[in-house]
Amino acid sequence: MSKLRSFFSDVLGALRRLLGDENARSTMIVGILIYSVLYPQPYVGEVLRDVPVVVIDQDNSSASRTFVREMDVTEWVDVTLSVSNMDVARDAFFRRDVYGVVVIPDGFEADILASRPSPVAAFGDGSYLLIYSNVVKAVATVAGTMGAQVNYARLTARGVDDGLARTLLSPVAVTSVSVFNPQGGYASYVVPAAFVLILQQTLMMGIGLLHAGRKLPSGRRMWATILAYLGLYLLWVMFTQMLLPFLYSIPRTGDLGTLLLLAVPFLCACIAMGFAIALAIPWREGVVFFLVVMGMPLFFLSGISWPVEMIPEYLHDLSLLVPSSSAISAFVAVDQMGATAHDIAGAIQTQVALAFGYTALAVGLARLTRKTRKQPI
Amino acid sequence: MLVPLPLILFFALAAVFAPGLPRDLPVAVVNLDGSPLSRQVVRMVDAAADVEVVEQLTTLTEARQALVAQRAYAILMIPAEMEHDLLLGQRPEIVIFSNSQLLTAGGIVARSMRTSVATFSAGVSLRLLEAQGIGTDVAMDLLTPIPVQQSPLFNPSLDYIQFLLSSVMPTVMQIFICATAVLSFSREHHSSNGMARLLRLSGTPTRAILGKLLPYTIMGSLVMLIGDVVLFSFFGASFRGNIFVFFLNGFMFILACQALGAFLALLAKDTTNGLGMMGLLVAPSFGFAGVSFPRFGMTLFAQGWAAIIPLTPYLEVRTDQTLRGAPLEYSIPSLLWLLAQLVVFAGLLWIMTYKTMRATPAAEENGVPDLAAEPQATVNQTTDIQEGRA
Repeated sequence: MSKLRSFFSDVLGALRRLLGDENARSTMIVGILIYSVLYPQPYVGEVLRDVPVVVIDQDNSSASRTFVREMDVTEWVDVTLSVSNMDVARDAFFRRDVYGVVVIPDGFEADILASRPSPVAAFGDGSYLLIYSNVVKAVATVAGTMGAQVNYARLTARGVDDGLARTLLSPVAVTSVSVFNPQGGYASYVVPAAFVLILQQTLMMGIGLLHAGRKLPSGRRMWATILAYLGLYLLWVMFTQMLLPFLYSIPRTGDLGTLLLLAVPFLCACIAMGFAIALAIPWREGVVFFLVVMGMPLFFLSGISWPVEMIPEYLHDLSLLVPSSSAISAFVAVDQMGATAHDIAGAIQTQVALAFGYTALAVGLARLTRKTRKQPI
Repeated sequence: MLVPLPLILFFALAAVFAPGLPRDLPVAVVNLDGSPLSRQVVRMVDAAADVEVVEQLTTLTEARQALVAQRAYAILMIPAEMEHDLLLGQRPEIVIFSNSQLLTAGGIVARSMRTSVATFSAGVSLRLLEAQGIGTDVAMDLLTPIPVQQSPLFNPSLDYIQFLLSSVMPTVMQIFICATAVLSFSREHHSSNGMARLLRLSGTPTRAILGKLLPYTIMGSLVMLIGDVVLFSFFGASFRGNIFVFFLNGFMFILACQALGAFLALLAKDTTNGLGMMGLLVAPSFGFAGVSFPRFGMTLFAQGWAAIIPLTPYLEVRTDQTLRGAPLEYSIPSLLWLLAQLVVFAGLLWIMTYKTMRATPAAEENGVPDLAAEPQATVNQTTDIQEGRA
């Protein structure tokens, strides 16, 4: 019993040291709090609306004006400018006043009336893919709806009956359903994933700040230290994976048990790797520098923003050595898609293997450094 | 260590984005019909370059599991009796479930599958119209009365190398350059007498700053040059702008990052604190710079934050001068903005260097001790002591 009590006081001691070290505190506590306010800011709008576009209406007929109005009504674009020629449009485009150009050529209405195809042209900014897809969506949707009305009128004019005309023109109904992130929100997409990486990086940085180049606690003290970090970061997992989504109105479905089943081995792997790094780079600034620079490339290896199937296999296998590479998509699967432990079994196994592997490495490195330290004496 | 690390990161990122366009992304099919026509739909979906049908499942429960386990990015569901209903003109409903939590992959497969199914539908439509005695030409015109000619300006294939890789690289470089500047300045600032020694050696703040930062300027320029050469020659990213403006932009970017990093180093209590402040400001800048989610869709706060990060104007000019091939006049506002950042950061850095130098003992030897700066010197010295490693 007294052993348990002194172990508990060791855990508290480790936490007190963490809070007492200004750098560790600002990384492992204050930094995460600031990040949780700052990081989601670019994405809080969730969905891109009202991309400004310019229209060149060369037809200036009632049909062309309807087209422009319908486009303006969609949530995707906003017709902010109407000009007469391409030079003026290009100027607005280069100035970034508009991000798309829609051209309705002369004879648009006449062609419709004469039952000829009457094309429109849409130029979007291919250097910003999200913007481009908004422009295309708006133009294609309006062209599709207007086209269907035109067609329907043509067929019924030929004496084809009502219901048959509809079937003839679209014999198959196609429904698209977005699952897990129904509105396709950008914060919902980036924020849950990014905070897994932020937790990993700050945890490893904190361990570097507290332990790099210093003598490690031994025996029971070491276990108490590990438990202290694990406990603190389990709170952060709850905070970033449950409270933050709630505060930013990001839909989430995960259940706590599965989340813990993933979070515990993930944090153990991070702690073990943190100690291994702290022993390998016995220079605190070096640890921080290394981890700060690595953050962004690690995010692109996680398969969230770029499909994991496209990453060369050797690079993907190599990236699995870092806990976040497999953990990020597993966390997202649990929280945003309601995955069960069975669905993410592979990722959990990887985390367990990494935890053991880095523990062995850290123990080995600790032995090695102790030996080299003893030699000069 | 300092040159190889960013180069290794660059080559790793280049390998990640090397395909340029995602291909053969896995999707699954739940075909409840099994008729020849339904198999034709599946074949058409599979034939598209960006999608590959990897699994045939029998229930929607299995399909959901495939989505959750990320074995498939989308599900194509063909209802029972599809062919039968189609022939009777009862408009069977084909459903595409796509995983929009993984926005990029989910979006690409959903778009591709929608196009394939629409093509299938148009084919059926054509046959039905012909059966009604409408000639093929007229029927074709009927199918797309308002065809849309889409062209993505500047990046015709919507390639991710041009879109992502060419902006991810500078983002990584920004962090890297700022971090080296923090390290190089902190070393003097936080060792006892470091700044005094620097002053003795260099004389003026300007020369001190240049002496400290110039080696890293050269190194950073070299790394960025190698990265860009690979990007524009090996990956064939398009370069339509003015090469002089491009390099001027890159050079100002490096200097602005360095000035920012060094300023933060002098502002900070110690090196790790400096790196921490730098990380906080610069690490999330990819989001703020508006590459993925554009700036005009952001809150005012986010737009303001983006405005003080060198990456934002740099990437604008970079896009102008590479992909867009914009005439110089359009890049001038962003260039001036980057220049303003450089001037402000460099000014702040100069003031801080000047103050720290005057506050060190070396200044006292030269004559009048600066009383106003005295407390700061003591603070620095105490942190030095705290910093001293065992």
